[in-house]
Amino acid sequence: MTLEIVVMIKQVPDSQEVVIDPVTFTLNRSAARNVINPADENAIEAALRIKDKEKDVHITVITMGPPFAETALIDAMARGVDDAILVSDRAFAGADTYPTGLTLAATITRMGKFDIIFAGEESTDSSTGHVGPGVAEFLGIEQASYTSSTWIEDEFVYADRELEDGIETVRMKSPCLITVLTNSNVPRNPTLRMKIDSIKKGIKTWSLADIGLKPEWVGLKGSPTIVKSMRTINEKKREGKKFKAGEMDKFVDELVSKGILKL
Amino acid sequence: MVGLVNAEPPENAGEYKNVLIFLETRQGKLAKPGLEMISVGAAIAHKVNEELIGIVMGNKIEGLVQEAGEYGCDKVIGLKSKDLEDFRTIPYSVNLSELITELKPNILLIPATRNGRDLASRIAVRSKTGVTADCTELDIDPAERILQARRPTYGESTLAEILCKRHRPQMATARPGIFSVPERDPKRKFVSEIRKTTIKKEFLKKEIVSFKPKSTLDLTSAKIIVSGGLGLGKPSGFKLLEELAGEIGASVGASRPTVDMGWIERDHQVGQTGQSVRPDIYIACGISGKAQHIMGMRLSKNIVSINTDASAELNSISDYIINEDLYKVIPELIDAIKRRKSGEKKPAEAPA
Repeated sequence: MTLEIVVMIKQVPDSQEVVIDPVTFTLNRSAARNVINPADENAIEAALRIKDKEKDVHITVITMGPPFAETALIDAMARGVDDAILVSDRAFAGADTYPTGLTLAATITRMGKFDIIFAGEESTDSSTGHVGPGVAEFLGIEQASYTSSTWIEDEFVYADRELEDGIETVRMKSPCLITVLTNSNVPRNPTLRMKIDSIKKGIKTWSLADIGLKPEWVGLKGSPTIVKSMRTINEKKREGKKFKAGEMDKFVDELVSKGILKL
Repeated sequence: MVGLVNAEPPENAGEYKNVLIFLETRQGKLAKPGLEMISVGAAIAHKVNEELIGIVMGNKIEGLVQEAGEYGCDKVIGLKSKDLEDFRTIPYSVNLSELITELKPNILLIPATRNGRDLASRIAVRSKTGVTADCTELDIDPAERILQARRPTYGESTLAEILCKRHRPQMATARPGIFSVPERDPKRKFVSEIRKTTIKKEFLKKEIVSFKPKSTLDLTSAKIIVSGGLGLGKPSGFKLLEELAGEIGASVGASRPTVDMGWIERDHQVGQTGQSVRPDIYIACGISGKAQHIMGMRLSKNIVSINTDASAELNSISDYIINEDLYKVIPELIDAIKRRKSGEKKPAEAPA
């Protein structure tokens, strides 16, 4: 029987290209390209490694996002993912983690049989880490979060969870959900040949109606939380006082006398 | 399993009261990130004349329940079972959500550790409520009893205040290392209760087959960080940084490219995809200052930039700029520190 893997990804502005406004210290994201969220690239790679090793594995990558998120899905397919679904609808805009998880869980339910769901540990643009485990709760399945590796042995799914004080190896039966740590593997690159094939093959696009949720359940309307206000974290005035080679004693005196450095 | 349903707010939201706090245990002890939330949790509860209720789950928890009270919980509830000895998502989330149904807390606080976030995500969905992740400030609007959960966003540049007005409990996770552990007072009065619980077999399908303790470098609590970038030019550059770090009791940090090149272990990485740090002093050596690095260190109290490139972006957020070859100036700095140290010892030695 085919092992069905789903990878949930998100498209984010490339943090390597995000520019910090020197005056307001806010991020200028308009200049940045949109890329697959870094941890989600590791999640795709974790799924592909299972496909490399096991027989009869089928991987579908899904994302909730605007139409241009298609490029992230094509990128995933060009790395070896079999199919891609974009869940896109104006009604999804402004979703916090609850309706985002609900939307993805409804999408996976609509897809049919699944064995392992992969997701990145968190996204670089909102950094909550709540969506992956939230989907597992909606679907009522086991999970292993913050993993550095996943493998299948004797019909069990094993995963190494990296915790603050050590590495925990867990064993569970599928279906289950795994969240993958940023940098836990080296993602393979898409090839040009596969990119062309992926574009030819194309992705599926589903709307709210396709996944059977009510409009008031998703997006901003379905979100329990609201952002009340945003304020810039006041950047301390930094003097940029200069010291040259040969002035290190003076520099150390300055740090010590101001109580910055205690020796 | 909640099924595919929306987060319908309760009609009796006003009846929810008290602040519940999940005190994580690690290897049989109360972990620091949970204790750090006790002061702020108590302040929020007492501001509206409510109680702070600590929740401890585990097997041998009698001592931990006592400890939680001595640290400042008004009430402590211990859930005791051998199946709760180690954190596992489903038995913990099922038990905690049963307590939520029973106690109807207005607010639930969970530390933003890996297991804490794992748990909070599931509880929020189970309880059909909202959760604000990784808060660095927590307060309450006393009139409406609405939690004001504030978290840094957009790469630490903005503080967002997030509210959960109609759903209960109002949940937040708190970033470790931000709040301080309160003082423990063995004479403190509190109420405690230990409940034995049994966990259904169907909730125990995930097994922990092994645990290998490992100490990872925690830069988030470091007071001084000496950090290196590609300007080091070679992997051995970190040896020089280690020497400087050794002189001033610093930890060694690194920019992402140096880690990607394999010059230093991943747990030294500072930045958006590494650790977010805020030491008293951050000494950046040969770091140009890409946004993703700056986001992880810009809240440092003092920043020193050592770089041959006078136009390095990092210089624009530095308190001190040393526009020199780091291989020339760092040895000079080490010597100057040594001289200063030995110079200051002299007066103390003299009276003898």
